[in-house]
Amino acid sequence: MKSKNLVKFVSAIVAVVVAMFFVVLLVAEPDTDMVARSPLLGQPAPAISSRTIEGDPFALERRKGSWVVLNFFNSTCVPCINEHPLLVDFADAESRRPDGAELYTIINDDNSESIRNFFDKNGGDWSKITDDNGAIAVAFGVARVPETWIIDPNGVVRLRITGELTEGLLGRQVDLLREDFSS
Amino acid sequence: MKTRRSVWLAMFLLAGVLLVFGANRGGGPKTQQERIDSLTSNLACPTCSGESVFESRAVAAEAIRSEVARQVAAGLRTDEEILGFIEQRFGGQVLLVPRADGLDSLVWALPVAVAVFSLFMLFSAFAKWRDNRPSAPSNDDELIVARALDERES
Repeated sequence: MKSKNLVKFVSAIVAVVVAMFFVVLLVAEPDTDMVARSPLLGQPAPAISSRTIEGDPFALERRKGSWVVLNFFNSTCVPCINEHPLLVDFADAESRRPDGAELYTIINDDNSESIRNFFDKNGGDWSKITDDNGAIAVAFGVARVPETWIIDPNGVVRLRITGELTEGLLGRQVDLLREDFSS
Repeated sequence: MKTRRSVWLAMFLLAGVLLVFGANRGGGPKTQQERIDSLTSNLACPTCSGESVFESRAVAAEAIRSEVARQVAAGLRTDEEILGFIEQRFGGQVLLVPRADGLDSLVWALPVAVAVFSLFMLFSAFAKWRDNRPSAPSNDDELIVARALDERES
């Protein structure tokens, strides 16, 4: 009798656990937010340094004091090409503000010549940073492009946007963060 | 009976000790390439399905492989720290061998708990069967058998 009770007890526990799994599966919604999570959010940005395609040195740490937007890019990636006009508009709008954000393209698995040709054709006069061996991508945990990161003037990572940008998204997010930062 | 049980117990203990010893035994000094291969074999390629960073030729996997190689060459981080660095960037799903702490420890603890519970239930069942074995025949039993034999012979 005792062992029968034990079997019933164990079966009940197993049933509850299985039921909980089903509830989680039914209730959970897929993560479709463009604004993505990352352990780096709220942390100091990785200390990355590299060169622009023109050969000028670039060190993220030296950009403290300004809002910095890093856009991970490849000239053959369709979402990167699609979002490019939005980045041009964003850079243009920010250049007219005294506290405007600095935009940088981080080249992902692409060569300088293709990048130069792409920007000559499609516009965008901001700096393009080379990423040899993908060290910058790994430092930010970027596996797929495009990805866009926002870093505040204290050098703290504030936002990660995965996938293709939508109209006005980047500008809105930077404005929200700016308001939050100044309050 | 008691001796047999002691022998089984000793064998289980010895097997356990050997398993623990074998699992924790260091493989001796490794070359840098062996460290890189071992580390990248334990990391999942973040853009592929079912491939490790060691096997994959994807861009992200190659970038991680380069970063691991760079950190191993720098010699400033242990293997655990390098795995922790990659995990912090790409999330826990990048680890092919789950960690043994927090909720992940259930992956290791549950099978052991189930095995221990199953063994306990088996031993309980065997003990019960042993207790229920027919004991020596009583006088009444012998009388019944004797009568039955008499009837058969007559």
